[in-house]
Amino acid sequence: MNQNPIYEKPTIAMGRIKWVYLVLGLVFVFYVYKLFTEQIINGATYRAAADGNRTQVISDPTERGMIFDRNGVVLARNVPSFNITITPAGMPDPDDNAGQLHQLVKELSEVISMPASNGVLNEETAKSFSECNTDFGIEQIVTIAGNNWPFRATRLKCDVSKEVAMIVQEKAMDWPGVSVEVQSIREYPSGVDTAEVVGFLGPIPESQVEYYTGLGFVSGRDKVGYAGLEQSMQDVLGGINGTRVVEVNVGGQVMRNLEEPVEPINGSHIYTTIDYRLQTIARQAMIDQFNYYNNLIGKVLSDSGVTIVMKVKTGEILALVNYPSFENNRMSRFIPAYYYNQLSLDEAKPLLNKAISSEVPPGSVYKLVSALGILNEKVIDKWKHIEDPGIITLLEKYYPNDPGSPRTFKCWQTEGHGAVDYLRAIAWSCNVYWYKVGGGFENEVPGDGLGIWRMSEYAKALGYGEITGVELPGEVNGLNPNPTWKRLNIGENWATGDTYLATVGQGYVLSTPMQVINSISTIANDGKRMQPTVIYKIMDDQGNVVKALEPKMVVDITKTPLIHEYNGNIQLETLKAVEPWILAEARKGMELVTKTFEPESGTAAIPFENVTYSVAGKTGTAEYCDDFALKNKLCGVTMGYWPAHGWFVGYAPADDPEVVVLNFSYNGTEGSRFSAPIVRRVLDAYFELKSIDAGTADQGEGPTTPGQ
Amino acid sequence: MLKRDIWKRFDFLLFTAVLLLCIFGVALVSSAIAGNIALAEHATRQAVFAGIGLGVLFIVSMIDYHYWQSFGRFLYAGTFVLLVLTFITGQVSFGAARWLTVGLVNVQPAELSKIALILSLSYYLSRHVEKINTIWVLGRSLGIAMGLIIWIFLQPNLSNTIVLLVIWAMMVWISGLKSKYILIFLLILIVFLGVSIAADFPYLADYQKVRVETFLRPDPAARYGDTYNVDQAEISIGSGGWLGQGYGQGSQVQLRFLKIRVSDFIFSVLGNEFGFVGTTIVMLLILFVIVRCFIVAQQAPDAYGALLCYGFGVLMAFQTMVNVGVNLRVLPVTGLTLPFISYGGSSIVSMLLGIGLVESVRMRSEENKEKLRA
Repeated sequence: MNQNPIYEKPTIAMGRIKWVYLVLGLVFVFYVYKLFTEQIINGATYRAAADGNRTQVISDPTERGMIFDRNGVVLARNVPSFNITITPAGMPDPDDNAGQLHQLVKELSEVISMPASNGVLNEETAKSFSECNTDFGIEQIVTIAGNNWPFRATRLKCDVSKEVAMIVQEKAMDWPGVSVEVQSIREYPSGVDTAEVVGFLGPIPESQVEYYTGLGFVSGRDKVGYAGLEQSMQDVLGGINGTRVVEVNVGGQVMRNLEEPVEPINGSHIYTTIDYRLQTIARQAMIDQFNYYNNLIGKVLSDSGVTIVMKVKTGEILALVNYPSFENNRMSRFIPAYYYNQLSLDEAKPLLNKAISSEVPPGSVYKLVSALGILNEKVIDKWKHIEDPGIITLLEKYYPNDPGSPRTFKCWQTEGHGAVDYLRAIAWSCNVYWYKVGGGFENEVPGDGLGIWRMSEYAKALGYGEITGVELPGEVNGLNPNPTWKRLNIGENWATGDTYLATVGQGYVLSTPMQVINSISTIANDGKRMQPTVIYKIMDDQGNVVKALEPKMVVDITKTPLIHEYNGNIQLETLKAVEPWILAEARKGMELVTKTFEPESGTAAIPFENVTYSVAGKTGTAEYCDDFALKNKLCGVTMGYWPAHGWFVGYAPADDPEVVVLNFSYNGTEGSRFSAPIVRRVLDAYFELKSIDAGTADQGEGPTTPGQ
Repeated sequence: MLKRDIWKRFDFLLFTAVLLLCIFGVALVSSAIAGNIALAEHATRQAVFAGIGLGVLFIVSMIDYHYWQSFGRFLYAGTFVLLVLTFITGQVSFGAARWLTVGLVNVQPAELSKIALILSLSYYLSRHVEKINTIWVLGRSLGIAMGLIIWIFLQPNLSNTIVLLVIWAMMVWISGLKSKYILIFLLILIVFLGVSIAADFPYLADYQKVRVETFLRPDPAARYGDTYNVDQAEISIGSGGWLGQGYGQGSQVQLRFLKIRVSDFIFSVLGNEFGFVGTTIVMLLILFVIVRCFIVAQQAPDAYGALLCYGFGVLMAFQTMVNVGVNLRVLPVTGLTLPFISYGGSSIVSMLLGIGLVESVRMRSEENKEKLRA
């Protein structure tokens, strides 16, 4: 071969190849160094990233507990709702299979009646896209989802009919990437009738994402209570989501469980103390009364109020009506902005649970505070007659040596009640009597009478000034004013006139309807203040009763010494209880309220004519001048010319109280005419239902069982 | 007798290394399929092509490489025709076409053109090596290269354009190009790159710009798409650790988080399943093959043989450096394959053909003869 002429010594610059070796060597060393850095030095980081890729924690949704009334009537339940979803990664590729994708979109569009293409898609509009609530067509949603979360199922259309869902399910093989999601939706069969107690659900609020995520809830999927029991009993109703740690492939397909899955624990069911029948009757009674008076005077007198029915001996709330209320079914899928705005802007504040969340002057019902105080503190004896000339002039002093400035106080009955004793003072709701005993008057009631400090002690004993603790969200404290409070908040000294007004539940005194009914119930219950409750029992999803009603006594004011003694403005260490006979006297007075007698009947005698059970109660007419009244120019120049709320609290039977009913009617003008008839109707209904229940119980038919 | 002598000069070490790489490549492709039905036949096809390639290797090594001096022209002409055809079909289908269906197989002419260019340049430069520093010879050599490059560039296929330009430059350089010319070329290159960057690469297709852009300025917010593939490659390699997650066990590979894993990112499959040790061994094997080619080039009996082996060594070295560089995220994404291992019939056959040429040169080198005599 060496003879072959084509062989010749290479004359190329082969020596240069050493540079090639050098570069090769350097690159090799560099690559090994890079490899070492990635695989060994930073290996743990990348392993974590790889595990992050393949592991996915799936939250299996729990089932929220149901809510029933005390007889098993369903107030809140879960119903399946069908959503059509798309997963862009599973759909035909828009680049390679545009025709197939187009065909799919066209067919799907017809089946689910959604435009194939709609809306202008740009960065701005894409950002505002929200599932279930969009004007975009299918193509636009596919594009948005494909660009942002191709492996996630995106809801295309929510709450389609079962028929449509089944058609889509059948087509699943022909329509890759399209599927049906079954979502549990809250439904409230009793709707607006029980909305103030049951409440509604909403998405986990931004501010509480961390809290709920910590409990295993999934933000954006799971819903939480926004009002009522749904909110206050969230922990009981909510349940615990199950979790599965799974391995997924790049398409999000689950390959296997990496850990033992944790099954979801369903929420417990709540039976409220509410009697749905009584609740609806109470609401209807209010609506009828509103309509009657509004029609009578030809304009809207009152269109907002509260009715509460409570069992005296146990504190169970049988009905809690807040009118106007809201339709919680309208919030079951999402909270529609326009509806929420409408509710928020409504001056009657339908979203506010006025029974516990509004602070209003309690008016004459508050006289019962002084009624206990004056006898217990021996300011006056019950036989003593006080003169009511209809109008009195007080020399109002702001400090002990103040020469005073005259201020007139009137009784609601301008000609006065004449000589009035303790029981008639309650029965007639005689303002002048209560002014004089509450704040003192010249020589008739020497000194300061009961005085504001001691009055607030009795108010506290009856539960005023603090939340009752009923299991509903948003309860407020109300206000028992005293000189210190006035000094700090108004910047003025306390005057005798302030005490006068406080005695009749006006001036600075504020309370919630729940506190008012609770105070009267305490007197009716021989001084045993019960914890108002709306929870009858709690049952887990297996049917075991987790918690049954146990009436809880907060305090017995005849046994526990709660009342501080005072020396002037100085609070003493000594405490005393309320003597039981005083409560009996107060009840006697309240019984007279509903009675017809000479020379003048009780304030609520007319509404309770021909009543078949014995009943006692107290009317209230609370003058007010709030923002709403100011705006509508309802307020007169001074008190006495202001608009008034109507109050009535009544309990029955008078001798062995069983049930207590309160009505508060915003701007109802007069408790005796506006509120008392409502309470009468509810009490009638209570006793009628009681006899019906007794009848059915005899026939061996218990209350309906849950789930029926 | 003569034949047996020749086989004794056959470089069995080189062949063994190449064989190991091919087998390993088929195994990796098989693992990289990861249950994807669309890729199911890739392992078998890769094995078939490796078999064909090995056959080609033996045949080519048996033939005296000088025959390629005239074969080369036909190969060049044939490749030229294929490239033009590919370009035309590409124009007709309004997109980048890199494949040409010949009978039952898809041929990627760009892979063939690498061999064709090495053969043609070796022949031309070996004959005009004395006049390498004249404009005429330099120009002719560039003309030979450009005859193929222009079509590949127009496909458009930037990475293979660069591969061919590098082959030309490296071959002209080893032929003894004076330093001042090299400096001039470097200057032209720098000015060209500078203008390109300033003018935002007017000659690049949009997707190529995006690739360069994402490499130079990665968008930290990008979750899918542009940086996804390299991100996943990095995670795949990084999670391999010392010994890897095991053959067929790599979570990144088997759960298909790693994309284009049978071809461009097969190195990441290697890193994921065989770890630092396995990857380094494979890199050493490839380095061994490359160095072996250069040694054969140094010992070649004539300039033609030397240029052949050297040119082919450069091709493997450059492709390997770029492919591994992309996988290790030190270079922007390109479509260059990892020699012997990446899936691709045209690629593996042309690589093995190249090894065949090197063996042919080795079997006929004078030094071998002298050693035999001694």
